[in-house]
Amino acid sequence: MDNFRKKFIEEATEHIQDLEQALLELEHSPTNKPLIERVFRAMHSLKGSGAMFGFEKVSEFTHHLETIYDLVRNDEMAINAELLNLTLKSVDHLSLLLNEENEPPETLLEKHTSLLSQIEEYISANKESSVIQFEAKDKKKSEKQLQTYFILFQPYEDIMKNGTNPLFLIDELHTLGTCIATPIYYKIPQPEEFDPDKCYTSWQIYLATDVDINSITDVFIFVEDECVLEVNQIHESNLLENQEFINSINEIQKNQKELTVTEIKDIVTGLSQPEEKEQIKTNGEEKVVTVAVKEQTISSIRVSSDKLDQLMNLVSEMVTTQARLSLYAEQDGRPELLNIAENVQKLSRQLRDNAFSIVLIPIENMLTRFQRLVRDLSKDLKKDVVFEAEGTDTELDKTIIENLTDPLMHILRNSLDHGIELPDIRSKMGKPRQGKILLKAFYSGANVIIQVFDDGAGIDTSFIRTKAITKGLISPDAQLSKREILDLVFIPGFSTASKVTDVSGRGVGMDVVKRKIADIRGEVELESEVGIGTTLTIKLPLTLSIIDGLLVKIDEIHYVIPLSVIDKIYAVEHRKLMKSFNNMTILDGEQVPFFYLRSEFSLPESTAEYEEIIVVRYEDKSVGIAVDTVVGEYQAVLKPLGKHYKKQEIISGATILGDGTIALVLDTNKAIKQFANQTLIKEEVQ
Amino acid sequence: MKDTVVNINSYLTFKLGEEIFGANVSKVLNILEMTKITKVPKAPAFMKGVINLRGAVLPLIDTRIKFDMGETDYTTNTCILVLDIDMAGESVHVGALVDSVQEVLEIDDAAILPPPSIGSKYKSEFIEGMAKTNDEFIMLLNMDLIFSTDEISLLRDSSGEVHVDLEEDSLESKKNNKKK
Repeated sequence: MDNFRKKFIEEATEHIQDLEQALLELEHSPTNKPLIERVFRAMHSLKGSGAMFGFEKVSEFTHHLETIYDLVRNDEMAINAELLNLTLKSVDHLSLLLNEENEPPETLLEKHTSLLSQIEEYISANKESSVIQFEAKDKKKSEKQLQTYFILFQPYEDIMKNGTNPLFLIDELHTLGTCIATPIYYKIPQPEEFDPDKCYTSWQIYLATDVDINSITDVFIFVEDECVLEVNQIHESNLLENQEFINSINEIQKNQKELTVTEIKDIVTGLSQPEEKEQIKTNGEEKVVTVAVKEQTISSIRVSSDKLDQLMNLVSEMVTTQARLSLYAEQDGRPELLNIAENVQKLSRQLRDNAFSIVLIPIENMLTRFQRLVRDLSKDLKKDVVFEAEGTDTELDKTIIENLTDPLMHILRNSLDHGIELPDIRSKMGKPRQGKILLKAFYSGANVIIQVFDDGAGIDTSFIRTKAITKGLISPDAQLSKREILDLVFIPGFSTASKVTDVSGRGVGMDVVKRKIADIRGEVELESEVGIGTTLTIKLPLTLSIIDGLLVKIDEIHYVIPLSVIDKIYAVEHRKLMKSFNNMTILDGEQVPFFYLRSEFSLPESTAEYEEIIVVRYEDKSVGIAVDTVVGEYQAVLKPLGKHYKKQEIISGATILGDGTIALVLDTNKAIKQFANQTLIKEEVQ
Repeated sequence: MKDTVVNINSYLTFKLGEEIFGANVSKVLNILEMTKITKVPKAPAFMKGVINLRGAVLPLIDTRIKFDMGETDYTTNTCILVLDIDMAGESVHVGALVDSVQEVLEIDDAAILPPPSIGSKYKSEFIEGMAKTNDEFIMLLNMDLIFSTDEISLLRDSSGEVHVDLEEDSLESKKNNKKK
């Protein structure tokens, strides 16, 4: 049962997301029928499956919401801001309810009752207008003819494994009108082969009702993919009152014969009322609406992320083994083997690209949360802000997306709180009253760039400067470029809000954002014009598990340096490195500070005549690191070093080379930072 | 889960220098021969480096350094025990260098003596108990603790006497409690 619950929660979370998304869209086009339908559908699914899996609170609550949207759907109530606010609050409450394993705590229950009464109030307050319409509708209903439908319901064998009891569905049909359900059980196997978890029965159901065909299919909404369902209208009157018809279906039932729609129609035409016969003959063909919810070709499937992680591991392993094969084939030199190795290389590259694209998900997935945040927060702050997104189909590794949501929320909060001005101030400044936040995502080489623009007040550099001076972060006479001043925002303990609000500016500011983004190997940059707006740019790698790197060697140990940070490589004479003053060397006529990795790693000096300096970018500066030799480019499959090495920050991971040895991946940013600090300490001691 | 693990009475014995130690077999996944070790720069001395364990990267600890016996000299008998260690509730794999692997022994719980509170040179929390077989004492180790701690040495520090005093104090206070 726990398994079912888990599956339900997963599904329900999706429904809730969909619901939230649809509601937000509804705010902009309150009369959009398909959207209202989507809202209703999501609620209906939630209600039904909630009840099925014992989430009574969820289902009861959704039922009331659904009542409102049923009225909306039937044009008996209009969407307005008040209603949307109430619904969004309710949706939040629903997701809280879902997270409660057992009995929800007091506070939640209180909220539950208060929200419920709000919903009820809302319904009764808006009923007056709708009551009249109700009456009108009732009249229409009574005028409406009873219709007879023939429903063929063939559940797949596995339907019960998903916790569905087909009998409940048939019970639900009974509530719609007069109903005769005849089971077909000739498929039931011999007792020895009988599996009690499987459903062998199908049903032929005759239903006389005044509801339309959609309401009938709605009953089967949760099992759409788990059964063959055909709903056909067979007659425009209540055939179930016709004794002759009943007799003939009883006869069929005895014979356990499966009927097709045409056969049923034949029976209907064979009935003794001549006028009806005629009707069928004339209208029959057009009236048969087959809402075949048959086996559709499945375009996507749900896979657990554990399985995906496993797949990724296997593929990584495969890439490593393939590198080994290529190496061996090259050494061996047999042309046939070389051919095979080359083919395997091609295939494994394709396999790798395919596997990696599986775990990529579009950034669209996190947008709903942002839209919601902007909507709610701008209301709280009494600001008028519109949120737009471009390039929402840009895809990123799922772990990156997961880790990106929080920093982005914080950035948006900042833009709303400190960036966008109040409408009155905006109009005084000649700006449109409505502020705008734009999130833009696009590919750039092997990176994804995400930018957040706002057309707000911008960041006043002189203000930041003064603040940094009072906080003792910079000295009063420091000469800083605009860029450097803006970067001060990312220093821990720096929060630009002059008064602390509960929205942002809790002291944990942009430094956390920067750190979180650095954790997923991303970079952040800030640009701002006072009075015009602010742009925050985040540069991210496409995936976390493979990096393009440069393979280098120091004292028989291989290291990988990410290509993304490397500018240039120079060969330098060993004695020049040793004789250098203050760890500076001159490359291309420019002074570059460098670190001799051998001495940083406490290894003896190299005896080789030439060594190589790799110039990497470190916080906008160029810094050289000297290694023994550069081996070449290498695509490294990253593996963690394990908990025991978590203190060795300068090594961010390891990778296994073609010959089975391990190469260590060097985090140059952390390494240079650490080396620089050590040098400072040494100097101070001296 | 925990109980079933504790109830396995088989111990793998291994040697460090001349001393024999025992590790509960439930903690040992594999025994490997020596293989190429990649040293990780700027790591403490007992962190020997990493090895390639069938495509996974396994950190390696020099057990001798932990027991303050100096670095391991590699001989044909040197082995790597692949251990499954419980590190703050998480299962972590780690390799341990030992001088040689002896045998697997069945030791009844009843035959296990409490670790000596005085006289042992190792901190008592790392020793689960002592067992005597073939006229030799085997120290049964708390592998989880030894291989998850950051402490470099398992020796009692120079203030070891204070430890002893404290333990005696606590014993006395217990006695007093009983009297009351």
